[in-house]
Amino acid sequence: MRKRRLIKLPLFLLLMTSLLAGCGFPGLSSSSKDTVKIAAQNTTEQQIMAAVLQQMIAHYSDLKTTVISNLGSSTVTFQAQKRGDADLSAIRYNGTDFQTVLNQSGDTDPEKVDQMVRSAFKQKYQMTYFPSYGFADTYQFMVTQEFAKKYHLETVSDLKKISGQLRVGIDQSWLNRKGDGYADFQKRYGFSFGHVYPMQIGLVYDALANGKMDAVLGYSTDGRIGSYHLKLLKDDLNYFPPYAASVVVNDAALKEHPELSKILKRLAGKIPVKTMYELNYQVDDNLKEPALVAKQFLEKHNYFERSDD
Amino acid sequence: MRGMNLLEQLIYYFSHNGMYVLEQFYRHFLISIYGVLFAAIVGIPVGILIARYRKLSPWVIGLANVIQTVPSLAMLSIIMLGLGLGVNTVIVTVLFYALLPIIKNTYTGMVNVNADVLDAGKGMGMTRLQVLRLIEIPLSLSVIMAGIRNALVLAIGITAIGSFVGAGGLGDIIIRGTNATNGGAIILAGALPTALMAIISDLALGFLEKRFDPSTRTTQS
Repeated sequence: MRKRRLIKLPLFLLLMTSLLAGCGFPGLSSSSKDTVKIAAQNTTEQQIMAAVLQQMIAHYSDLKTTVISNLGSSTVTFQAQKRGDADLSAIRYNGTDFQTVLNQSGDTDPEKVDQMVRSAFKQKYQMTYFPSYGFADTYQFMVTQEFAKKYHLETVSDLKKISGQLRVGIDQSWLNRKGDGYADFQKRYGFSFGHVYPMQIGLVYDALANGKMDAVLGYSTDGRIGSYHLKLLKDDLNYFPPYAASVVVNDAALKEHPELSKILKRLAGKIPVKTMYELNYQVDDNLKEPALVAKQFLEKHNYFERSDD
Repeated sequence: MRGMNLLEQLIYYFSHNGMYVLEQFYRHFLISIYGVLFAAIVGIPVGILIARYRKLSPWVIGLANVIQTVPSLAMLSIIMLGLGLGVNTVIVTVLFYALLPIIKNTYTGMVNVNADVLDAGKGMGMTRLQVLRLIEIPLSLSVIMAGIRNALVLAIGITAIGSFVGAGGLGDIIIRGTNATNGGAIILAGALPTALMAIISDLALGFLEKRFDPSTRTTQS
């Protein structure tokens, strides 16, 4: 009797550890070999795109997917990818990676930044920057439609003629930012605003819609641009660095799942800024979950079946 | 959405995202169950062992106590260093927290088995394994069950925090609610099912615990 127990115990322990090490928990699609792990930050945009990717991959292949959601910053998702905790990031903005990962600043020419980030990621980190989804998230000046009509505003340069009397709401951090902050803005465009009100970025849209501000500097894809029908002013001097949004995948994952590349390329250029902020609006103001919004969006476009091939 | 009160928003949310909430509910439950299951697989034998070799018990229970005092977010981060982001980290964290109630209750249950009954068993010529299987475990099963019940309720709470390392579950909904502009309803939509899950599993395991209690068990079973 005693002997048998002695044999059983190590066997049992072995089984336990192999279970824990293998770690494919049924029902959780955690980290078995054929699972694609998608990293997403805690913003609405990121979570929508993570759900879009998840459903695209499920539609075109038998691969399992799991989303590592709610990560705090683009640095965290980058580290997760580098360590192999994640196979791809739902959205990376090339402007952000240019500043944080490559540790550069100054250059704001969209093409040049894009190329530098692309090649650095490929060579240094073995990650592939896919072609952009079609939208870029960046700072953008915006006004109400009536205000734009009244003063014939189309571009940021158009603000120059009325700049002295403008009340402008801006992001707190933009005021003292180096590279693309207010100080360099004044130099590039050659004018400054009459009154500048730094505030939390989430408040600027309401302040503009309520007439408390004449113009504000906000994020180009925020859902509230759609809900308030705000007019975006074109950055005609290309002052703000481009933050074109793309999916970025580890080369190792592409090698392991060759079908992935084809699926992800279907989304290239398919999501213009306007579409993205409509999706954001659905989540931010309409109490819908990102996964649901992604599903409705993909069904409406038939999962982009007719795109390339 | 702005014209609705909180309750209307909540109903609207559930009517649109019901399936999603259900999915996350299921995921949340699975993560908690896996953690507790592994803790039971480790904890119950350890409990039995320290009941037999009593000298070990203060050390083992002390160690489990120390684990329990580490704040859950810190524990999650420490384990994340080793296991990386994702669901496995949360399952292991749950395992660690579930160990104490399970070990402690198994130990208590074993130690409190009436010595006379044990003697009777030995007198009948039972082997040690038979004593364990036929006397000790049946008599302490309800106490062990109480430990698992404690552990599961604890686990459901910890899994909610697990969203911070990207494990998903109902915590995801709660966090999204805190980020949304007007997210009161979303927070509730995540928090209410979490509370409900804890209450239901507590009741269900409480029922089992009563069934296993030797003093109330009916003769037919």
